[in-house]
Amino acid sequence: MCFNSFFFLFFFMLINYFFFVYFIMNGLSVFFEWEIISFNSMSIVMSILLDWMSLLFMMFVSLISSVVIFYSKSYMNSELNLNRFIILVLMFVFSMVLLIISPNLISILLGWDGLGLISYCLVIYYQNLKSYNAGMLTALSNRIGDVMILMVICWVMNYGSWNYIFYFDFMKNDYVMFIISFMIIIAAMTKSAQIPFSSWLPAAMAAPTPVSALVHSSTLVTAGVYLLIRFNYLLIDMFFFKVLLFLSILTMFMSGISANYEFDLKKIIALSTLSQLGLMMSILSLGFPDIAFFHLLTHAMFKALLFMCAGVIIHMMNDIQDIRYMGGLSLYIPLTSLCLNISNLSLCGIPFLSGFYSKDLILEMVSFNSFNLMVFILFYLSTGLTVFYTFRLIMYVMINDFNLMMIYNLYDEDYIMLNSMFVLLFMSLLSGSFLSWFIFSYPYMIYLPFNLKLMVIYVSILGSILGFMVSNMGIYSLNKLLLSYNLSSFLCLMWFMPNLSTYGLSYIYLNFSQILFKNIDMGWSEIYSGKGIFNILKNYSVFYNIYQMNNFKIYLFSFILWFMILFIFFFI
Amino acid sequence: MLTNNNSNKMFFLFILFFSTLISISSNSWFGCWIGLEINLLSFIPLISNSKNLLSVETSLKYFLTQSLASINFLFMILIKFSLLKNFDMNNIISIMMNSSLLMKMGSAPFHFWFPNIVEGLSWMNNFMLMTWQKISPMILLSYYFNKNFLIFMIIMNLIIGSLGGLNQTSLRKLLAFSSINNLGWMIFSIMISENLWLFYFLIYSMMIFMMISLFFLMNMYFMNQLFINNMNFFIKLNLLINFLSLGGLPPFMGFMPKWIIINFLLINKFYFLTFIFMMTSLIIIYYYIRIIYSSFMFNYFKMKWVNLLMKNNMSLINLSSFISISSMILSTFIFM
Repeated sequence: MCFNSFFFLFFFMLINYFFFVYFIMNGLSVFFEWEIISFNSMSIVMSILLDWMSLLFMMFVSLISSVVIFYSKSYMNSELNLNRFIILVLMFVFSMVLLIISPNLISILLGWDGLGLISYCLVIYYQNLKSYNAGMLTALSNRIGDVMILMVICWVMNYGSWNYIFYFDFMKNDYVMFIISFMIIIAAMTKSAQIPFSSWLPAAMAAPTPVSALVHSSTLVTAGVYLLIRFNYLLIDMFFFKVLLFLSILTMFMSGISANYEFDLKKIIALSTLSQLGLMMSILSLGFPDIAFFHLLTHAMFKALLFMCAGVIIHMMNDIQDIRYMGGLSLYIPLTSLCLNISNLSLCGIPFLSGFYSKDLILEMVSFNSFNLMVFILFYLSTGLTVFYTFRLIMYVMINDFNLMMIYNLYDEDYIMLNSMFVLLFMSLLSGSFLSWFIFSYPYMIYLPFNLKLMVIYVSILGSILGFMVSNMGIYSLNKLLLSYNLSSFLCLMWFMPNLSTYGLSYIYLNFSQILFKNIDMGWSEIYSGKGIFNILKNYSVFYNIYQMNNFKIYLFSFILWFMILFIFFFI
Repeated sequence: MLTNNNSNKMFFLFILFFSTLISISSNSWFGCWIGLEINLLSFIPLISNSKNLLSVETSLKYFLTQSLASINFLFMILIKFSLLKNFDMNNIISIMMNSSLLMKMGSAPFHFWFPNIVEGLSWMNNFMLMTWQKISPMILLSYYFNKNFLIFMIIMNLIIGSLGGLNQTSLRKLLAFSSINNLGWMIFSIMISENLWLFYFLIYSMMIFMMISLFFLMNMYFMNQLFINNMNFFIKLNLLINFLSLGGLPPFMGFMPKWIIINFLLINKFYFLTFIFMMTSLIIIYYYIRIIYSSFMFNYFKMKWVNLLMKNNMSLINLSSFISISSMILSTFIFM
């Protein structure tokens, strides 16, 4: 099953690659329409839009998923129901492809809902309590986005069809489009885990590592960004785009800080994904959709690679994910640490790896165009924080002493996993330059002063020095930790958002309903109906029985009494 | 009663039937009284059994109350003949005549003897007491009644029948209070028309017959005898259906007469009385369901020394269940 799907998806990737090259060289864009059923004036039509963006994205998605399936053949080889896992992954890929190629909202909804549901199934794949909680959080957060898209469908019916791409030119200033853009932004924010909805991404790390590599690094979370890229022509002048800018910058900043406090390997990588998503959303909301797309693709490559390396390391450490137990691994597992290092450095934006092309271009565009001071500061600060937690991670995992046990076996020769990582390594080295030559037919004009140009390097060096220093915590530095306890817990727990969005939302209602239940359902309404009436009737019956149990002559005497009573009574 | 054989019973039974016919088909009130007296005289030998002290005491109690009622009835007839030579019905003498007839029937407030006596009789005698003995007083009631008085009596019957039955464990007393409750319905129906009363009475006696015959065949006198687990399923089902039908639950036969009487209540604008009818019905049904729910659904310990099998003479049980369930629907084919 693994091999078959790997070959199928790889072949699919090659087809997509050739079509992509042909389409982008000739500037083609093809729109298929298949009329499923046509009734008097109603027709159900399935349409597919193929232009260079969708073909490129499909190529990347199929590449990553083929590599991940090949990887999971070895990673999950002790799983009894591996076929079930592979089928879930394939359904996920199918939903993603449906989302990518669809120009109308109904098939977007199908793909979107499919993504949400299948990611729920994949997150709860290891059926323990933590996975169940994580799955519920994931599914419900994604559900908000689904509801938003449903409402967009409802509003777009005003225009006559659900093919949104035809209406952008004509209806831009309409009130209906205003509402639609608001809802689309909220939907994309839930899927890509921006600030109000960002609590599900670190929690979804309870999924198996191949799932994290495919879903939470490159496909599910980028679906929101892709939706906004498609709708970009509509959203450019809207007010909510500025709100999105604000929220995504804050997401980027917050997750960068929180990743510095984390000690779980997969959570660090998840928070770094969140930070890069904030970066993508913010550059998109500044008005540069193609740069956002570029960064989306390069980020997919090295993040998937990073997750796969993390999976190898976790297997080696006897399923421990805590980085305090790891250390010095670069001496023992050269090939895996090669992949880890290259993907980490690509994440930081080290020159001429793939991440450099997209990240540096983003930062230079931010500096060149005049935005406000907060945007500027937070962008550069977040870049510095990226380097900070990356170097901290490298110090903990690669360089410091090994912390697990005396006897260990760090097995690096698992060539199935390594071969899949090498494919992504190759792509993560070359895809930056390769994509920039394809996507940007002419380079952007950027003219910056010298220090501003080198600002990226200054911030990166500062971040790396801090990362080095913070990972050398000795025993004597631990006694000052309580001084900053409040601030640290605020920053570490993602600014308390997971608690606010789960417990904080339901606390009032559950409390109130407990009060109602105890006082009314189990309280007064039992006295005024139910038990109360039963007690009254029972007392009446007991009272009657006193009259029933008597001598016979009393009965006869009572008859005479009744006669007289009735006689007198009816005289009156 | 020197011997206990069936020929004596047949003789007195014949006179019992004949006495009712005398009572309801006579031209003058005196003939009615004669019928009532012969009724009393022929019922006493049916129920007394000199070998059983309880049975003797029961027959004595019955004799005392019924004779008191008969004396009252005769006296009121004579007062009516001599002092009131009118034809209108709602006056004081009709109250007295109705009171004595109500005492004959065992209706509230003259009902205190009724649960006592049914406790001492066997099931078949109970059946005669609850059904046949009500015919002639009811028909005599319809000849000369006081509307306001009877409505008051109806309310008392309903309330006492429902509240008194809540605290009982003996099946005979339970059916006695249910009979008092149903007397309320029957008194109202006889105020509307005799035809309606006949309808109600026939269905009621059919239901009582099914129940009493079931209890008679299984020899059950008390409630805790119902909780035996190895009763045949059909017997339990029949019991369930009969109790629910007696309570007046819709798909069963017992719903039809109650429905028609409520219809007549609402036509004649007795709204508050309708409310009392329905609420007391609820209490009665609560009590029935309490019994059969426990015996039908719960799993008690299996007693090994009591074995209630389906005997040979129980083959009519299936037929009676079928009649109880389907008769309301089948009646639409007959009457429409």
